[in-house]
Amino acid sequence: MIMATEFKKTSQSANKSPLVALVGNPNTGKSTLFNRLTGLRQHIANYPGVTVEKKSGLLRIGHQDLDLLDLPGCYNLTAVSRDERVVMDVLGGRHGLRRPDLLVFVVDASNLKRNLLLASQCAELGIPAIMALNQCDAAKRNGIHIDTALLAKQFGIPVVETVATRGRGVDDLKSAISNALANPSFLPRIQWPECIAKGCQVLQSGVKDLGGEGVTQAEALRVLFDSDSVFTCGISDKICLKKMVDAAHHDIRGLGLSPGSAEAVLHYRHLESLLDGVVTTSGPVARSHESIDAILLHRVWGTLIFFVVMYVVFQSLYSWAGPLMDLIDALTGMAQGFISPLLENTPVLQSLICGGIISGVGGVLVFLPQILILFFFISLLEDTGYMARAAFLVDKLFSWCGLNGRSFVPLLSSYACAIPGVMAARTLSDPKARLTTILMAPFMSCSARLPVYILLIGTFIEPRYGAFAAGWALFAMHFIGLALALPLAWLLNTFFLKIKPQPFILEMPDYRVPTLRNIFHRMWERGREFVLRAGTVILAFSIIIWCLLYFPRNPDVAEKIRSDFSASTGTGISNENLEHRIESAYIEQSYLGRFGKAVQPVFEPAGFDWKITVGVLSSFPAREVIIATMGIIYNLGADVDEGSEDLRTILQNEKWTSGPRIGQPVYTLPVVIGIMVFFALCMQCGATVAIIARELDWRWATFSFFGMTTLAWISAVVIFQIGNLF
Amino acid sequence: MNGTLDRLQVGESAEIIDISSDCTRAGRMATLGFITGRRVTVTRLAPLGDPISVEIDGQEISLRRAEARLIAVKQA
Ligand SMILES: Nc1nc2c(ncn2[C@@H]2O[C@H](COP(=O)(O)OP(=O)(O)OP(=O)(O)O)[C@@H](O)[C@H]2O)c(=O)[nH]1
Ligand SMILES: [Mg+2]
Repeated sequence: MIMATEFKKTSQSANKSPLVALVGNPNTGKSTLFNRLTGLRQHIANYPGVTVEKKSGLLRIGHQDLDLLDLPGCYNLTAVSRDERVVMDVLGGRHGLRRPDLLVFVVDASNLKRNLLLASQCAELGIPAIMALNQCDAAKRNGIHIDTALLAKQFGIPVVETVATRGRGVDDLKSAISNALANPSFLPRIQWPECIAKGCQVLQSGVKDLGGEGVTQAEALRVLFDSDSVFTCGISDKICLKKMVDAAHHDIRGLGLSPGSAEAVLHYRHLESLLDGVVTTSGPVARSHESIDAILLHRVWGTLIFFVVMYVVFQSLYSWAGPLMDLIDALTGMAQGFISPLLENTPVLQSLICGGIISGVGGVLVFLPQILILFFFISLLEDTGYMARAAFLVDKLFSWCGLNGRSFVPLLSSYACAIPGVMAARTLSDPKARLTTILMAPFMSCSARLPVYILLIGTFIEPRYGAFAAGWALFAMHFIGLALALPLAWLLNTFFLKIKPQPFILEMPDYRVPTLRNIFHRMWERGREFVLRAGTVILAFSIIIWCLLYFPRNPDVAEKIRSDFSASTGTGISNENLEHRIESAYIEQSYLGRFGKAVQPVFEPAGFDWKITVGVLSSFPAREVIIATMGIIYNLGADVDEGSEDLRTILQNEKWTSGPRIGQPVYTLPVVIGIMVFFALCMQCGATVAIIARELDWRWATFSFFGMTTLAWISAVVIFQIGNLF
Repeated sequence: MNGTLDRLQVGESAEIIDISSDCTRAGRMATLGFITGRRVTVTRLAPLGDPISVEIDGQEISLRRAEARLIAVKQA
């Protein structure tokens, strides 16, 4: 699938169809417009090495095919973090990226001046441009009138009024795009004061002398105004560079401006003169959201409403997804039931397809309802404008450890499943907070851990200590991940991450009535992405695990058990039980079984025997697998579930058969707690590792995997060793 | 009376006189409208007292106290 996309990309650029980019502030309606213009003819591509996606799609105007690019929203061209760099790299045509042939500035009509600052900065790039004056409906409601003809005249480019949510003006925009490609027009450039223009020239020649790649004037401006600009990366002599920048800053101060804000101040002055007479407001601007905010952001009511909203979201995540997940489970079962008899004659193939592929892929698809429902709510909360308010309300809870208010939804949704949680972290624009949120997401106790807790608590804690203790144990297991994750996030941020934190500055958007079209589009996009990408990885993982548990399959093993069985007839072992014995004998000598025995000494300090070790190892691709593996190992057949009575009695009676603790019960309280904590902290989910690798990169995924696994092991050992002191 | 933005009470307004931060951050804030000479009004606090929400140039923006502390203001 990925290859097909790559191919499409290269074949498109080979035809050299013109490239048109949508540029604008966050939340102005670029993506909505993008979807309107391309329909579903689009594909999502990750920016090389970075996670922020730049989406491209096919735009057909008449007989002409265009490539349309949807860039992440930004307020200015400051390029410090890697995701901000996407915009600057695309616009500057760096790293082998194609430079757009036309920019479509999508501006929010209610806040023209601030929106145009980005356009004014981009004018330096010398790319033809047109303007889509979006959200005209909202501007009108707010009593803002814009003289479009004058605006077009002042800026020297065509301006089209649009309402992206309703599709109004989209056809006009299409013809404006094709006209502009034929007869390009450019934005007026700002007249820089002498000293800034000179500073840029000095930097341009200076950077070249210092051995960096050549920079354009627009990029030189970034070096001048962003102290951490990425365009200086190629240069080793930072001191010499700093000297040049400082000299220019000194001159800027001479103008009575501070170097930090000079760029914005000068652009605003430029814009104010251009915008003279363009915007008229009838009466005082009505703040439609003022009265709603008075309640939703109220110290008491706002907090209360926030908790109710979150409760509803996560309650539905569990209760709505439940039946759908059962349905997918049932369909998986049916598929197995249908295919299994057809392959009766080739047991290897039967086992591979039914036990490996179908149950592996089905095990991933089971998460699809949760992902769709979560993204339904995320889109709903974002589209209405509530998400920004929620972030405002809870930011303080997260800010101390490097996360921010927007981390809340990804982390909470990770309690259902870390995969949608990691994906939801895309809503964080601060790269540091996003990275930390993604790394912390797998610590939240996802629903796949629940079967393990229920089995062990129900078997060992409830009978001995009562239902009340069992309830608390379950709660504690859900809490422990969070309790460890936040301080870990703090450690990581304080001592290891060298990314500068970005200020958490949040614009409060107007409240809007969400459009179903938009919401379903997001759900469809995310669902498709999940099925395609995580699905392929999980498929590979399940085939590997199946192989390790199936091979080598020496028929002698089964023969030996059968002959032992017939030798000891009359011991009351049923035929079915015999099959289970054979199955578990195979597992014991399978590659994974042998590996488990070899690895067992590692888990010895935690009190795990080889059977637990195999269970733990086999559940690395997906932690639920442990229930099935334990069932197979303990002679019960793979279709046990956590409520199974037999498995419980067997576990309670399980004794060490060798070693120093021979004859003693395996599952003592410290071992049981150790196993549960191990599962709570360990990264036993191939799909999550794959998703982290995709959202960040393989190094972070590896770090997360080994970090969490080590932490889990240490915790289990500490619990067992301390527990044994009493 | 001079002070910093984080010292203002809800409902109070003041004029921005300076932003003391590194270039990039100051640039970011200036882009969003925090520019010398403009008036800001603190409109509300989050339930835990941080971040704060301010009105500037007709838009409502929330920022943390740590950032607000960098903005020097003059109260009339
Ligand atoms: N009233 C109104 N709302 C609109 C219009 N266009 C978009 N919206 C809404 O504005 C919000 C943001 O739209 P998006 O398309 O996600 O904005 P974006 O520019 O892609 O945002 P970023 O990707 O964050 O930069 C959504 O809730 C849309 O429904 C419009 O013309 N009128
Ligand atoms: Mg977008």
